[in-house]
Amino acid sequence: MRLAKYVKFREEKFGAVLFETRSEKVFTLNPTGTAIVREIEAGADETAIAARLKARFDDRDAAIEREVESFIADLRQRGLVEG
Amino acid sequence: MTTAATETSAPGAIPAPAGGATEAEDLAAPLYVAWQITNECNLACLHCIEESGPGKAFADELDTAQVYSVIDQLLEHEVPYLSFSGGEPMLHPQFFAMVERACARGAQLKIETNGHYLSADNCAQMKELGVKAVQVSLDGAAAASFQKMRVRGSFDTTVQGLRNLRTAGVPVEINFSPARFNAREIGATVDLAYELGAYSFYTGRTMYTGNAVKAWRHLQLPDEEYETFFAVLREKAEQYRGRMRVYFHEAGLLDELRYRLQHPAALLIVLPNGLVKLINALPFICGDFRRQSLPEIWANFRRAWQDPRVAEFVDALAADPGKTRTLHEWVYL
Repeated sequence: MRLAKYVKFREEKFGAVLFETRSEKVFTLNPTGTAIVREIEAGADETAIAARLKARFDDRDAAIEREVESFIADLRQRGLVEG
Repeated sequence: MTTAATETSAPGAIPAPAGGATEAEDLAAPLYVAWQITNECNLACLHCIEESGPGKAFADELDTAQVYSVIDQLLEHEVPYLSFSGGEPMLHPQFFAMVERACARGAQLKIETNGHYLSADNCAQMKELGVKAVQVSLDGAAAASFQKMRVRGSFDTTVQGLRNLRTAGVPVEINFSPARFNAREIGATVDLAYELGAYSFYTGRTMYTGNAVKAWRHLQLPDEEYETFFAVLREKAEQYRGRMRVYFHEAGLLDELRYRLQHPAALLIVLPNGLVKLINALPFICGDFRRQSLPEIWANFRRAWQDPRVAEFVDALAADPGKTRTLHEWVYL
């Protein structure tokens, strides 16, 4: 899994932006979304991303895995990640 | 924990704005830099906003060291999207060196050209260097209308250039400027763009400024003809959905500027001499790459949008839409 060819990622104070330069659409990410995309950029797979986030964030309601899965599905559906 | 990817920008217009509701105020640097690298052009188009043409290069255009410095700053600050336009950008003596420098450091670079220098070799070189897309102006589906707009231009050369891009595997975008004499060809031009392999087609309203002021009687399209024009585009957008993106900007200039006053796009427009415009459709200069760094210019850009003279100019445009003829009388903020 990696960012799609025409997608650029830049971190900002509020989180980050993803810029899909073919459609010229900009997506803003909150800090959690930013953490996930940072892991994608580093080459992590979905399971590893969830594990790393569980180590960093409070997961008392066991939602992280589900949210990571849903977020990545959303990125895929928008053509922002591939592979 | 909550995650979010929120789409915040409208798709591009001409030039494509990046930013939308991703307020410039929130960002550490621009998202898009549209750089007119030279004012020199082989053509003398009736509608040219920049009044480019043969012999029209600015006397003080940035030298090689200066253009490299600008590129390096843009990439150091992670500007994700960059375009080179003009004039005709491929006439810049350092064109390929600039492309190479930008692409080698990961820039997503678009070239906006009139298509007259798209030889097979040049297209192959752009592909090899990693150009993201080439946008070509195609103001008609036939030589007569195209060449009426593109004075000194050749429809056949442009179409061959587009074919060369496709052969080389460089993604193609098409830009169309409507006028009295070509608006009825819009449907055929969209079809031609698809046939030539474009993935995006852009158009909007032609602006009364630059060369268009003198040629307005040939260019001006009455509102009722714009209605027909946009109706065809709506049909074409539907027809090519999923295959080629047909984007058209129906809003008039005043609506666009009023929106931008509240939501400045994270877009810098750099002129060939390094001056930076607030937005193409206003006369305000908010930076100078010969004297200022990108962070300084970006800070001033954000302040400048709050300058009362900007809103006053937009109000004055509402009273006198013809005031766009003065856009080249620069006002420094």
